[in-house]
Amino acid sequence: MASSKLYSDDVSLAVVVVDTNPLFWATAALPFADFFAHLIHYVNSLLLLNHLNHVVVIAAGLSSCTYIFDSSDASASGAADVAATFAKASRKMDEFIAEDARATSSNGSVADGNAASLLSGALSLALCYIQRVFRSGTRHPQPRVPIDSCIVGTQDSAFLQQASYITGGVYLKPQELNGLFQYLAAVFATDLHSRTFLRLPKTLGVDFRASCFCHKKTIDMGYVCSVCLSIFCKYHKKCSTCGSEFNRVMPDLNSVPDQRQLR
Amino acid sequence: MPQVMVVARNFMDMVAALPAAKLDMLYDSAFICEAVLRSLPPLAKKYALQMLYVSAPVAAAAMEEWVLDEYAAKHRVAIDRLLQLRVFVEVRDRRKEVSYKMNQKFQGNMQKYLVDGGSLPREPIPSSVTARLPTLAELESFALEQWEGNTFYLFLLIRSYCLNATNVHSPSKGTHSFLYGKIVLLAAIDQLISSRERDKFQLIHDENFSARSSEFKVHLISSLAFGIYLDGEAPRLTENGFQFLLMETNAQLWYIMREYISSAEERGVDPTELISFLLELSFHTLGEAYSLNTLTDVQRNAIRDLAELGLVKLQQGFVVVETNFRMYAYSTSRLHCEILRLFSRVEYQLPNLIVGSITKESLYGAFENGITAEQIISFLQQNAHPRVADKIPAVPENVTDQIRLWETDRNRVDMTLSHLYEDFPSKDMFDQCCDYARDHGCLLWEDAKKMRLIVRVEFHSEMREFLRRLR
Repeated sequence: MASSKLYSDDVSLAVVVVDTNPLFWATAALPFADFFAHLIHYVNSLLLLNHLNHVVVIAAGLSSCTYIFDSSDASASGAADVAATFAKASRKMDEFIAEDARATSSNGSVADGNAASLLSGALSLALCYIQRVFRSGTRHPQPRVPIDSCIVGTQDSAFLQQASYITGGVYLKPQELNGLFQYLAAVFATDLHSRTFLRLPKTLGVDFRASCFCHKKTIDMGYVCSVCLSIFCKYHKKCSTCGSEFNRVMPDLNSVPDQRQLR
Repeated sequence: MPQVMVVARNFMDMVAALPAAKLDMLYDSAFICEAVLRSLPPLAKKYALQMLYVSAPVAAAAMEEWVLDEYAAKHRVAIDRLLQLRVFVEVRDRRKEVSYKMNQKFQGNMQKYLVDGGSLPREPIPSSVTARLPTLAELESFALEQWEGNTFYLFLLIRSYCLNATNVHSPSKGTHSFLYGKIVLLAAIDQLISSRERDKFQLIHDENFSARSSEFKVHLISSLAFGIYLDGEAPRLTENGFQFLLMETNAQLWYIMREYISSAEERGVDPTELISFLLELSFHTLGEAYSLNTLTDVQRNAIRDLAELGLVKLQQGFVVVETNFRMYAYSTSRLHCEILRLFSRVEYQLPNLIVGSITKESLYGAFENGITAEQIISFLQQNAHPRVADKIPAVPENVTDQIRLWETDRNRVDMTLSHLYEDFPSKDMFDQCCDYARDHGCLLWEDAKKMRLIVRVEFHSEMREFLRRLR
C-alpha cells in the first residue's frame, strides 16, 4: 500500500493504493476482509481528523486497477451515512476483484501462479490524481508526494523500499497484523506537517538492487541497454524498451561469473 | 498540570475553560467530540488518534519519545491542549509517575464514529415539505442587509458619541434589537470551531418571532465588552465600542458570540447547553431547513438570538386551513401557488393571497402523482401560518383524517406473498397444520371444508418441515 499527501499545514490528500493480488491474499496471514476493515477504519480516521482531508482509494489487481473510493464524492451525501458509503466502497472492491479475476483468466497472462500486480499502473493513477488536484486547486504548484509503504506480507519489497526512500515516505512491515489499524493510525495517518516533529519508524536497510525489465527479478548483475539504460537479466538481441539492436554477441552471464557484466 | 494559561481567545478555549464535569457532559455527544478533535493542533490530533484504542495509561515519559528532541515544546503544547480539553486525563501511580489516559467517553464516541460515522440529532426537513427555501444568494443578501443596517445604527451611535450630546439621536427600544439583528456571517463561528465551510442556517417555521426584549441584548448594551453605555435614554459608545467598530466582521461577530456565551449564566442559561447547541449548528448544512419543533426551550431562545444576529433565518409559515377544507395561503410566490395546486383546487389568486379548497378530486390527482397523504399533511403543518401554528393541531383534525381516509380509499387491496396448501390426506393433519401456522401467527386463511390453507411466504420452509415430521 502506498499513500501520498499534499502539504498544506495539516490538510492532507491521501491516495491509498491497495494491492488486491489474489495469489498473495490467498496465503496471507491476515484475511483480506479483515484487512479491508482496518483500511476503512483508517480512511475514516483520516477524514475525521480534518474536514478538508481528502482520501482516495485505488485497487491494483493483476490485470487492471481502478478507483474504489473518493471522499470528495462521498461528502455530498453528508456525514450521516458513512456506513452506507463504506458499504458501497466494499461492494465496489468485491466487484473489482471479481472483474479482475475474469480479465486475468481470459487473457491468460498468469500461468505460473507468481504474477505481480499492476502496482506501477496504480501508482501512475494516484500521481495523476494528485497532479490534477494540484492544478485545479490553489495549493503549491509542485506537490511533494511521499510514498508510504505498509507491507502486509512476510517478504520485503525492494521496489517499495526504494520508492519510500527516494520520496521521503515511511516503509513499514508491521509485526502484529491484528493490530494493523494501530500502525496505520500511529504512522500512516500522520500529516506531513507533523512528520517534521515526530520520530517515525526508520527503514533499517534499503535494498538498492535493480529489478530486470524482462522478468521483474531483483538482480545483482545484468545487462544494460546502452541507449536507454533498461536492465535485463538475460542477453537480448534487441532492447524491448527502445528497440535498439545489439550487434555484438555477448557470452552467457552464468558461465563466466567473474566477468564485469553491467555495461 | 497544564502549563499554558487558559485565555479565552477562541471558541475552543471557552470550551476548555468549562469545569471538568460539564466538559465530560459535552462529550456525551459524538459530534462535539468530533468538533473538539478537529479543533486540536495537528500533533494533538495525531496523539488522540494514536491513543484511540489504547485503554491503559501511557507514561508521559514514553510519550515524549514520540517526538524528536528539538520539538519537545510542540509536544508540550499538544499535550497541554489535550489535557485542557480533557481529551487526555492525567493518571498518577504510587511512585508519582505521570501517565496519560484517554477520556473514556471521548474514546468510546470516537471509536463508534470510526465505525458508523457521526449522526446529528436533527435531520433537515425534506425538500418536499419545505415549499420554497431561499437560495444561497438570497441568504447572503439577507446577511448583508442585516449587516448594513447594523453598521448604520452603529454610526448613529458614534455620531451621538462624537457630538457628546445626550439626545442627538435617541433610538427606540426597537432599534436596540435592530443592532444585534445585523452583525452577521456565521463564517466567524465556523473559523473558530474549525468546522465545515462557511455556514448560515435557516430554520423554517417559527410561530411568533416578534421583537422580543432580550436580556442578552440589554446585557450586551451595558457590557464593557461592547462598550456602549446607556446615558439616560441615549446609548453612547466607549473606546471599546470604537475598537469594536474597527474590527473585521468576523471578529465583531465573534466578540458578540463570546459575550453571548460568557453571559449565559447570568441569563440563567447553562453555557454547556449553549456551546453544545452552537457546535451542533456548525455541523448542519448551509441552506437546508430544520424544524424548530425539535428544539428545547434553551435552544429555541438561542435560535431567536442567532436569528437577530442574522446567523439564522427563520422562515414563516403562510397557510391557513379551515375545518371546511378551505385553504388560505398568504404568499406572493408563484412556486407556492404551483405546489398548492398539486393537491388542491385553487379558486382565487390575489397578489398576496391564494385561496383554494382541498377536494377529493384534487387529492386523487396528487395521489396519482405519487404524493402521499402524510406528505401533504406535514406540508400543511410545517407551513402553517403563525396565527394557526400555535393551535393544536395546526391543521384541523377532520381535514387531516379525511385526507388519510381518501388515501386509503385508493389502497383497498393489501398484497401479501404467501403459499397455498391443499390436498391434505386427512382432516386431522389439516387441523394440525392450521393450528401450527396459527400458533406462529402466519396463518392467513383457511377453508376447513375443502381443506385448504394459506400461510405467509416466510413460513413456507417451516411448514414443509412440519409436514415432513407429520408423515
